[in-house]
Amino acid sequence: MEWFNDFWSTYSTLVFSVGVHALLALSIWLTLSCGLLSLANAAFMGIGAYVSALLTLQLGWSFPLVLLTGGIAPAVVALLIGAPVLRLSGVYLAMATLAFGEVVRITVLNLEITGGPEGLNGIPLETEGWHIAALLALTIYGLARLRRSKVGRAFEAIKEDEVAARLMGINVDRYKLLAFTLGSFIAGVAGALNAHFTFFISPREYGFEAAVDILTMAVLGGISSLIGPLLGSSIITLLPELLRSLHDYRSFVNGAVLVLVVLFLPKGLWDPRRFRKWFGKAKGAEA
Amino acid sequence: MRFMPKSIALISALACAGVAQAADIKIGIAEALTGGAAQYGVAIRNGFQLAADEINAKGGINGNKIALVIEDEQAKKEEGINVFKKLIFQDKVLMIFGPTLSNSFFAAGPVANAAKTVVFGTSVTANGITDIGPYTFRNSVMESDVLPITVATATKHYKLQKVAVIYGNDDAFTKSGYDVFKKVLEEQKLPVTTTETYVKGDVDFKAQLTKIKGSNPDAIVCSCLAEEAANIMLQARGLGIKAPFIGGNGFNSPKLFEISKLAGEGTFVGSPWSNTNPAPANKAFVAAYQQKFGSEPNQFAAQGYDALHIAAAALKDVKLSGDIAADREALKNALPKATINGATGPFKFRPAQTKTGKPGGWDADQKPFIYIVKGGKFTLYDSK
Amino acid sequence: MLEQQLLNALTLGSVYALFALGFTLVFGVLAVINLSHGAIFMVGSYAALWLVSHLDAPLWLAMLGAMLLSGTLGLLVDVLILKPLRARNAPHLTPMIATIGVGIMLTSAAQGMFGAEVLRFPEETLPAGEFIVGGVHVRALEIAIVAIAFILMAVLFTALKRTQLGRALRAIAESPKAASLLGINVEGLFHVTSFVAAALGGIAGVLIGLDFNAITPQMGQPMLHKGLAVIILGGMGDIRGALIGGLFLGFAEVISKAYLSSQMGDAVAFGLLFLILLVRPSGLFGRVLERKA
Repeated sequence: MEWFNDFWSTYSTLVFSVGVHALLALSIWLTLSCGLLSLANAAFMGIGAYVSALLTLQLGWSFPLVLLTGGIAPAVVALLIGAPVLRLSGVYLAMATLAFGEVVRITVLNLEITGGPEGLNGIPLETEGWHIAALLALTIYGLARLRRSKVGRAFEAIKEDEVAARLMGINVDRYKLLAFTLGSFIAGVAGALNAHFTFFISPREYGFEAAVDILTMAVLGGISSLIGPLLGSSIITLLPELLRSLHDYRSFVNGAVLVLVVLFLPKGLWDPRRFRKWFGKAKGAEA
Repeated sequence: MRFMPKSIALISALACAGVAQAADIKIGIAEALTGGAAQYGVAIRNGFQLAADEINAKGGINGNKIALVIEDEQAKKEEGINVFKKLIFQDKVLMIFGPTLSNSFFAAGPVANAAKTVVFGTSVTANGITDIGPYTFRNSVMESDVLPITVATATKHYKLQKVAVIYGNDDAFTKSGYDVFKKVLEEQKLPVTTTETYVKGDVDFKAQLTKIKGSNPDAIVCSCLAEEAANIMLQARGLGIKAPFIGGNGFNSPKLFEISKLAGEGTFVGSPWSNTNPAPANKAFVAAYQQKFGSEPNQFAAQGYDALHIAAAALKDVKLSGDIAADREALKNALPKATINGATGPFKFRPAQTKTGKPGGWDADQKPFIYIVKGGKFTLYDSK
Repeated sequence: MLEQQLLNALTLGSVYALFALGFTLVFGVLAVINLSHGAIFMVGSYAALWLVSHLDAPLWLAMLGAMLLSGTLGLLVDVLILKPLRARNAPHLTPMIATIGVGIMLTSAAQGMFGAEVLRFPEETLPAGEFIVGGVHVRALEIAIVAIAFILMAVLFTALKRTQLGRALRAIAESPKAASLLGINVEGLFHVTSFVAAALGGIAGVLIGLDFNAITPQMGQPMLHKGLAVIILGGMGDIRGALIGGLFLGFAEVISKAYLSSQMGDAVAFGLLFLILLVRPSGLFGRVLERKA
């Protein structure tokens, strides 16, 4: 038991990070499952982190309420910018969301209340392991239900062929806005959780690099099911720990992983269809 | 999950081969050894290694050798926390030096403070660092102790009437330096003609400098990192600006003149350390550093080197019991009284003035050196 | 002071335009946002620096070498990564994600090889010369940058308009399939475009590295963001648009720094980018090349 205590004391933050990154990967999975490549999730995470940290520090709100508001705040922003932004598609959407992310970062950098580049420090430790576990479980359950619902099928239809979906009578704009807003909510909650176990937040954590990291997790794991993002986020979080000895070349491996996965595993690591094919082949050989 | 790090293996090897009956004092070093802040982190680590070698060569502290457990915190906040937790709960070190940047300190410091373990910063100058709690210490001199003297000296020397200001507004270090400059300029009633900003990665400062030139200041106050500052100096001279510069801690790097050559003539800078300080402790440090690492030491190495000597001075008065919690507490109680005469001159601690009124940690109580730049070199300023 | 600021804006705008040239060329022909363009630009800088300081190469030779190396890198990216993706008809965002990976790899490799600190060209390699015209300080290097940006633009523009190659490229830009049916070697021209675009990125890296004299592994990142703003302003895939968009951004930034506040510089770039995408996704001045697949 003492061994476990030592282990937990040492690695709890790492485990927390895995959980928070899983939430982030699921948030971008949601928008990707509707065919939207949005690079705004890091900014949404930042909005959630800053709003929640300020509520805790300045107003002393209770943690559940802080978490909820941490999700609602970016969702409101997403609703506001969603209508004009989501008219764009493909690379234009990616560029617009990237620009939005930069605007958010620069705004936070120049505001007095956010502490500018010095960030906010002294955020109390509120996040506990079960918070993350419960919220992650809830998100997975919710998204799994969503996938099998009418909404999920509409997302799928839009992703496969937007024009056809529109012709089938699906209200494409509304479903896109739903995916975008829900995704921002999850990212915001993840940001709020992260802020309350790392004691400190600063604008640089929510920039372009963070947006790419979140995307990498989902692409690496694969977006054909919910398991993909979970697998991808765990690997991306733990990989640097395992690759410590590579020093400066560590991020080289991250980049290489991204390229290789895109080239050779277009559906990501977790690809049920590929597994079935392998399995089927093996069976065929036996017979 | 993680394989046994090399440092632990090394320490166990040392422990086996070590002096009989005397125990090793494990001290954690968490600095940014890779990534953008590595240029500071590596120098600091070198300073620690040099000091540890010296202390161990003289028989250690009360017969106990110092064993450094060195970890890379990459200047990332999560990594800082992970490394701190590993050092505290797994390696069970007596105390931790680091992290390199204030950002990481704000994230990792509370972990050490909550675990009742001394955390000692050697390069963290931000406000509020020692507000974290009574287990936080630093020997890094804050800008608010240096800049008033720098500005006053420069004002007297150049008979300044008005100055322009330029700073990096997306970097915690340069922004907090600017905040101090702003306060100092107000206090010393020196009017500011214009305040300009830039962001990290900017390399073209001509728009801002043209504006500064138009405002015709007597000097340019610059809260910038050395490399940015050097480019700003070069571009300012390129635009025909003749006014001298006044710099913060970011100027304290040989890089400044490697790049700016003679563009920085007449610049005023304050620093906690001077490589030309003729005090014997400093001369010995500079010589030993050159011999061990084959390069010139800088301020960060000097502060790391002094920090370990400060801890060693405190540990002389601590009777180690082997109970790690009790030993950590004893060190925390002994450290505030420690004084040394080191590479950075005479050093002692003073209690931090916290914003909240709660008991805080301990800041450096040290006088800075004021330099003027002559012939592309920092020379100690002589008011005569 | 206004004259000096206008000159500052002209140089900065030319720098942006120079960077955006190759960027927009790849998008126009290959329909790929090549997010490794920033890293290739950085490689150009380091290559020239290495040639100058290790082989004592004269500056013109170093520039040529930098163009060759970055061009080859661009070609490799196309052959090894983009071509297989085209072959399996991957969704159009996939190549963009792959180029993000390439960018990370190159940046990390540069940091591992050259370190994180800022490197510079040795002073004696910098073209000296400074004039004061009517109170405005002008450096020879600035004139060179503006001139090279305009010359390259003109060469590229005439090449696209008047040569057989240009006509073929324009046909591909309209529809690769139709071009292929017409007997145009589409794959070959994709390779040529990738090489030329990356070589342009490389020369931009050398010139900008010389002008600002600060070479770091991360130098491509802010430039990439600005480049995105430029090609969106100018209309994606539009060669003239790169020049107009670059100059527009340069002037917008400098004027806002000079007359509003220097804090606004970056906010202006991205605010503009965001607004223009919402209001006029085809760019301020250009028309979008709608690709008929």
